[in-house]
Amino acid sequence: MIKVIADNITSPLGMTSSENYLKVKDGLSCLQSYEGVMDIPTPFTASLFTEEQWDALMQYGDYTRFESCLIHSIREALEGSDVDVSSPRVIFIISTTKGNVELLDSRSHRLKNRTTDEAVRLGNAALMIARYFGNPNIPVTVSNACISGLAAQLTAKRMLESGRYDYAIVAGADIQSRFIISGFQSFKALSPKVCRPFDIERCGLNLGEAAACMVFGRMTEQDTDDWVAVRGAVRNDANHISSPSRTAEGAYRAIAYAMADGDAEQLAVVNAHGTSTLYNDEMESVAIARSGLEHTPVNSLKGYYGHTMGAAGLLETILTMKSIDDHIILGTRGFQELGVSRSIRVIGEHIPTDKRGFLKLLSGFGGSNAAMLYQKGGRR
Amino acid sequence: MELQEELKSKIIEALNLEDIQPEDIDDDAPLFGDDGFGLDSIDALELIVLLEKNYGIKISDPKTGKEIFKSINVMAEYVAANRKK
Amino acid sequence: MRTLHHVVITPHRVVVDEEQMTVTSSGKMMLKEIYQSNIGNYPKFYKMDMLCKLGFVASELLLQKEGNRNIGAKGVVDEENQRDDRAVILLNSSSSICDDRAYQATIDNLDDYFPSPMVFVYTLANIVTGEIALRNRYYGETNFYVLPQKDEKVMTQIVEDSFQDEHTTSAICGWLNCDDEDHFEADLYLVEK
Repeated sequence: MIKVIADNITSPLGMTSSENYLKVKDGLSCLQSYEGVMDIPTPFTASLFTEEQWDALMQYGDYTRFESCLIHSIREALEGSDVDVSSPRVIFIISTTKGNVELLDSRSHRLKNRTTDEAVRLGNAALMIARYFGNPNIPVTVSNACISGLAAQLTAKRMLESGRYDYAIVAGADIQSRFIISGFQSFKALSPKVCRPFDIERCGLNLGEAAACMVFGRMTEQDTDDWVAVRGAVRNDANHISSPSRTAEGAYRAIAYAMADGDAEQLAVVNAHGTSTLYNDEMESVAIARSGLEHTPVNSLKGYYGHTMGAAGLLETILTMKSIDDHIILGTRGFQELGVSRSIRVIGEHIPTDKRGFLKLLSGFGGSNAAMLYQKGGRR
Repeated sequence: MELQEELKSKIIEALNLEDIQPEDIDDDAPLFGDDGFGLDSIDALELIVLLEKNYGIKISDPKTGKEIFKSINVMAEYVAANRKK
Repeated sequence: MRTLHHVVITPHRVVVDEEQMTVTSSGKMMLKEIYQSNIGNYPKFYKMDMLCKLGFVASELLLQKEGNRNIGAKGVVDEENQRDDRAVILLNSSSSICDDRAYQATIDNLDDYFPSPMVFVYTLANIVTGEIALRNRYYGETNFYVLPQKDEKVMTQIVEDSFQDEHTTSAICGWLNCDDEDHFEADLYLVEK
């Protein structure tokens, strides 16, 4: 098993994990409506960095916005650890769906040191980041649509458990642009208003910008008070490339694998993907009910940040850890009345908890689903 | 060209239905579902783009699309009544 | 890890288990030729972007070597023959760049701005793993990794690590790269634990 050594969330709400947690605890969000920006004809609601925030993030040299916010997030996370990232025993794993894709736009600025064709390649961006930190290994980018953040943690777990590396720097981000926003609009997947996960009135998702980083190490016998990634899996729906399975085939199987030795009674919460689209939230309710978790509290954090894509699996995992450390289950911002077919226990307002484990779920295009079980202090 | 025929060739082109000829599509037959041409939800969204691009018709709710894309005849009727170009 | 079958496809050459296949065309047309002559009955093929077409054709050639599959009327493996012990683990260096450019072309000009959902959906590199999973009814792991360039050692490590999943006993895995219609490489393996 692997433990969390350090972490960071860099988002429009704040530049550290604690700052983000405290804002979310206060019910705050940067989701707002945008009109006439990025030359996108249809208005949309999103959580985006401000120009001032970008000025603060773009301070590391000739890097793109995507690379800069990842560098920032990794630097901040590493401040809280003594991991020597220049060691060959450390591997960088980047989670993203679209990386520098905004550079493809004919109006985008050109980079000084690289061609656009180089920079839009996810592996090139990852290499720039790993080299910034002086890491000698070839970085691995996980690009598995919306489940990338969990798939990247699972990759880290395997790489550390195989004994090849001692530490994994897992960092994820996506930057919103005309490319991504227009695409989701063409899918009629965006909610014009702030999203409402699992609610009867939900009508789509909001997109969000963020970077997040988790530093993992192998767990030893002495570690009794660390957060541990216990067990996880990726499973496919084998159903459709963009619509989730009606029987939640992939999500159900991913949960079954993650919970194979787990005890539902030990779970403080199931932190769902909860994008607030009609089909995703419905599918997750089926998966949760099919897994016998109808009585376990369920929440979604999309109402605070929107869907932060490559960052989501990391950002939402970190926040859930912080909240359980604080003995709280975070409420699902925007949720009022259950609007899915299964009677799962979606939490609207924050509630107290004394449990120390949780299950994280993600699902995405390509029929992919991921689940990971986390436990404070591991299995004892 | 008759609107029905025009729609058929545009649909075949937009949805990459390479194995299908315009004459294979019956004017009253369902486009979607198991009896249709194996079209799915992404195809329906792409047809919404087709209507906007070619006829200036904007559809914001995909549910409206489902009604319009019942058959070539229903689609042609809708286009004739709502086209802006 | 044991290799069962191996397929290499480049714009002018197709090699299945070290044996070169006869093709008359090249590039994008060659993929269509192989689909029509050796696969067929799966109209979804025509809707796929280049990366998916390449991955689909390569995986089909691999699986044909393995023997008969029960492909049902809808062109996918029957529910009775579903399995979750086979993973699809692919890697490349170009992610979905070919389709990314195609999608950008639908939005770049403000006077001709018609974002295409059918093109957008393929701007995710992992869609090809989903296409292979749904054709063969694989409920197992699907994952997509991007590296700065092709690296056999890193690829092997990632695939070997994937067998840490206790359900996974075999995998369709390897390199699947597509820069454009005339520059691509599939180097796929069917391996077992």
